[in-house]
Amino acid sequence: MKVYQCDQCEYASVSNKYRCPSCGTGKLQERDVSSKGTVYSYTDIHIAPAEFAHLAPYTVALIQLDESKAKVTVRTDGNVQIGDVAELDYVEDGAYIYRKC
Amino acid sequence: MTNVYIEGIGMTKFGKFVDKSMKQLLVEASIEALEDAGNPKVDAVFVGNFMGGSIGNQEILGALVANELGLGHIPTAKVEGACASGGIALRQGIMGILSGEYDTVLIAGVEKMKHASTADVTQAINAAMDNESNEKQAGLTFPGFFGVLANRYFYETDATKEHLAMIALKNRENALHNPLAQFQKPTTMEEIMEARIITSPLGLFDCSPTTDGAAALVITREKGAIHIRSSAQSSGPTQMQDADDLLSLPAVRESGRLAYEKAGVGPEDIDVVEIHDCFSMTEMLAIEELGFFNKREGWLAVEQGRTKATGDKPVNTSGGLLSRGHPIGATGVAQMYQLVQQLRGTAPNQVENARLALAQNLGGTGSYSTVHILERL
Repeated sequence: MKVYQCDQCEYASVSNKYRCPSCGTGKLQERDVSSKGTVYSYTDIHIAPAEFAHLAPYTVALIQLDESKAKVTVRTDGNVQIGDVAELDYVEDGAYIYRKC
Repeated sequence: MTNVYIEGIGMTKFGKFVDKSMKQLLVEASIEALEDAGNPKVDAVFVGNFMGGSIGNQEILGALVANELGLGHIPTAKVEGACASGGIALRQGIMGILSGEYDTVLIAGVEKMKHASTADVTQAINAAMDNESNEKQAGLTFPGFFGVLANRYFYETDATKEHLAMIALKNRENALHNPLAQFQKPTTMEEIMEARIITSPLGLFDCSPTTDGAAALVITREKGAIHIRSSAQSSGPTQMQDADDLLSLPAVRESGRLAYEKAGVGPEDIDVVEIHDCFSMTEMLAIEELGFFNKREGWLAVEQGRTKATGDKPVNTSGGLLSRGHPIGATGVAQMYQLVQQLRGTAPNQVENARLALAQNLGGTGSYSTVHILERL
């Protein structure tokens, strides 16, 4: 999992930015970290837009990564609860698909 | 503090209007506002609208208004800021008067959504996400975003789905007295709790509907009875995964802080509030972010009925987005319509002797927020 870590402060994100939105001065540096993390929260989506309707109901979760301050939004393979430990299974059309460990 | 005053208000009924075009709705609300203001000379028009182009194939809304109303060769513009389009249009008008360029500005907001299929509307609404992101590709939706927030809120507090239902019920009860509201059928806690799930834990009544409707305001530098004490706008993350604190909407907090500072008042001074309750959970977070209640304690205030029309901090006396309806570009303007009525003493669910009023309008995943504070002089 790629994350972008500020070289001046604690800020980290899975998406790059021109400058750090937290301290306003730092530059973000790309880092590779483990995809493993903990479910911070989730929702089971029953009503989906046309392009995802064939998947519904499906679960979208926000994962707190173990090795970074960054969180990442993923789709999970099956239901999850807050506190579950999960990791990347595969990437599909730009989406991270996670499964419980 | 601004030197801008609201002189006129207009609003169509909110609901489903298959026989009326977007232009007709826009013109109807605008004429009502102009008549209410005594038909002053208008120097500019700003229209809040989000999806007129994508699902209605109609742009140039500013020019349409100027032409239909015969306002002459004045400058106009459409303003887009997702669900905050109306609030931002108002703010652009205020800035135009503050700059000295205009004396009187017509602000309107409109959306026509009911003619399109749910799939098409949902797709059009998703234009307010960062569509290149892994988050959008994961299948996150706007209701889904607030569903994720709600589950975390339940985890960190003693709040439950019932507290969200209390918000939905309160707003429905307020709408019953608002003749312009979309939903005027009474409901019950049981019906709300048992309604079909849209995105857990949010059910049908936790989500604002699609709506046709328009609202309009005439604002001017000439001193009047309703003073816009302050106008503020802030930005926030365009992706949920970039939220520093998931249970915070920093754009709401920051726009509120700026609006209070500019107005020289605090949350304790506000008598009546219109908040952007696109979802019941959004109202829960916004009443905390705007400082009316402590963080993680909004649910207690809801449980105690403090945000009811009869409570000490009445929120969404119009019925809110949940029950007044949510024609996206019109919402921020419709909030002002209700608050001006409150300050004039003519509102549905009138709050006795209301003097200071606050409106907060949100767009995207907390990406845009405007706050306006009004005062009766």
